[in-house]
Amino acid sequence: MYDFIIVGTGASGGTLARNLHESGAKVLVLEAGKLFRKNTFPKTEMDYSAQLFWGGGLEFDSKAKTAFLRSKCVGGTTIVNQCLMDRFDDNAFDEWKNRSGVDFMSLTSMSPYYDRAEAQLKLNTFEKKDLNTNAKLFTEACNELNYKWKFLRRGMCDCKVEEGNDCIACLGGCHRDSKQSTLVVSIQVAEKKGLEIKAEFEVDKIEHFVDHVIVYGEQGGVKQQLKTAKVILAGGSFGSTHIMLKSGFSKQLPALGKGFCQHPQFMFFGIFDTPVDAHKGNFQSVAGADPSFRAKGFKLENVFAQPISVAMLFNTYGREHQDIMKNYRNMSCIEAAVRDEPEGGELTINNKGKLIITKNLTDQDKRRRDAGLETIRSILHKQGAKRIVESPIFFGLHLMGGCSIGVDGKKSVVNPDFQVHGLKNIYIADTSIFPSAPGINPSLTTMTFSQKLSEELVK
Amino acid sequence: MSKIFSSSALKALTRIGDIIAPKNGEFPSFSEVGCLEHVDDVASYAPANDLKDLNMVLSILSIMPDFFLKWLVKTMNNSHAKDGGISDTFRMLDLGLKGIIFGTYYSGKIGKNFKGKSPMQVIGFSMTRIEKAD
Repeated sequence: MYDFIIVGTGASGGTLARNLHESGAKVLVLEAGKLFRKNTFPKTEMDYSAQLFWGGGLEFDSKAKTAFLRSKCVGGTTIVNQCLMDRFDDNAFDEWKNRSGVDFMSLTSMSPYYDRAEAQLKLNTFEKKDLNTNAKLFTEACNELNYKWKFLRRGMCDCKVEEGNDCIACLGGCHRDSKQSTLVVSIQVAEKKGLEIKAEFEVDKIEHFVDHVIVYGEQGGVKQQLKTAKVILAGGSFGSTHIMLKSGFSKQLPALGKGFCQHPQFMFFGIFDTPVDAHKGNFQSVAGADPSFRAKGFKLENVFAQPISVAMLFNTYGREHQDIMKNYRNMSCIEAAVRDEPEGGELTINNKGKLIITKNLTDQDKRRRDAGLETIRSILHKQGAKRIVESPIFFGLHLMGGCSIGVDGKKSVVNPDFQVHGLKNIYIADTSIFPSAPGINPSLTTMTFSQKLSEELVK
Repeated sequence: MSKIFSSSALKALTRIGDIIAPKNGEFPSFSEVGCLEHVDDVASYAPANDLKDLNMVLSILSIMPDFFLKWLVKTMNNSHAKDGGISDTFRMLDLGLKGIIFGTYYSGKIGKNFKGKSPMQVIGFSMTRIEKAD
């Protein structure tokens, strides 16, 4: 019997796997996706979109209004994100304390755990010399409009951008092991010390007993049952909630599946007469930091994407679409992410056990979206864009909620010890426990909660 | 040619692909590039049930006249501005089909008989990847 089975290998599962394995516990890590290495990641956008994401890269809500990008590989979303490492602020924690009643939800209480989570990462804050043309256009326009902006802090080292390496390639997995994914900083480190990993193992359900848990799943078409003293679900908002729903815990946990939020993200493009080459160099190095943005409930980032993703965002077709795409090199781009309300989202399953994602923007979400988009328009105008192309399609990368943390078992799924209410051998510390959208990149705080849980489990 | 899509489904994809990505100046048409030779690369990781449904829908569309397919593409595209009812289904189909069509068209991969500039070359996309030895 294992001491711990960890389901998932992203920001939460990877951190827990390394810490618990290094503590001497008998740990098994299960991951539905494949184990890639730096030299085996797919090399084209088409291939990585199909191979590294759930649904082959196409996963939508029940109305096909939102596209979700949910990674399915060892390392989880830390493989395909930009590894932006922000601590939450008091505003985010205060809201969570109010919603959850959990005492440790404060920057002061969480700081020691942030320190220790960050100590496992190589962090780099960008400087002026790192900006590509897209970032320069963004910062110059913000300066003229008196909007504050900041350099982003990213988990990275030895990226060789100064020698011409294009960072955008690592959205399909870092081919240098430079990006500080949990594959690099946790899984591969623990693997060298004997960590047991079963990749391409899809967990179907779990069964809770007084002194152990049985995990049911399938690997390579073969059904398996695994016994463990404790199981830690770390499949993220969709993955962990889906397993809990399929395991039949809805009746005893009325909040299960509730409160799904995702920071709905919208990308607008400015088209110029000359190349911007937003995809070259450090393609994401700055973000908006104006206090008014946070107060209005949105954040702005200076981003871009490879051609297929950009093509999918333009709601046109035929010659009109091609005439926009012809300007790919001449595009600047800004993204608004909305701090959405958890009341608009819910995760359920249908009678076949398929995950059904319901996501409606509330009136407040729409006001926040409109404020963000209006700000983007003003910045793109100030940049001098000849034309602005607005994408109506929004997508979700920060998938949160479904198993929210709290003191009240009727309103939450996980207690302040990260234990599922009434099921003492099941733990969750991933983004599914978020009581609401923080409006800040969630990766570092997910690692930090998992740092806290691992320290408590080895006491 | 494809282990996933039937020949009639491929025929429909080709015709819809040429509406969504026609020949236009330097841009070759979807069918001209030979994108569909790589369609299994983009589709084989999608859920089996979704592919089964898509195969069936495409097989039906393969026998529809051109004007119907043009109407369908326009309706699917316009569905993003609407909410509820049949527009949800059109939107799902739009994203699924564009995922396959743009996914292969802008992939940089071409058919074995295509000699011209790929759409990726037309838009001038290039990416430098500096590898790291073990």
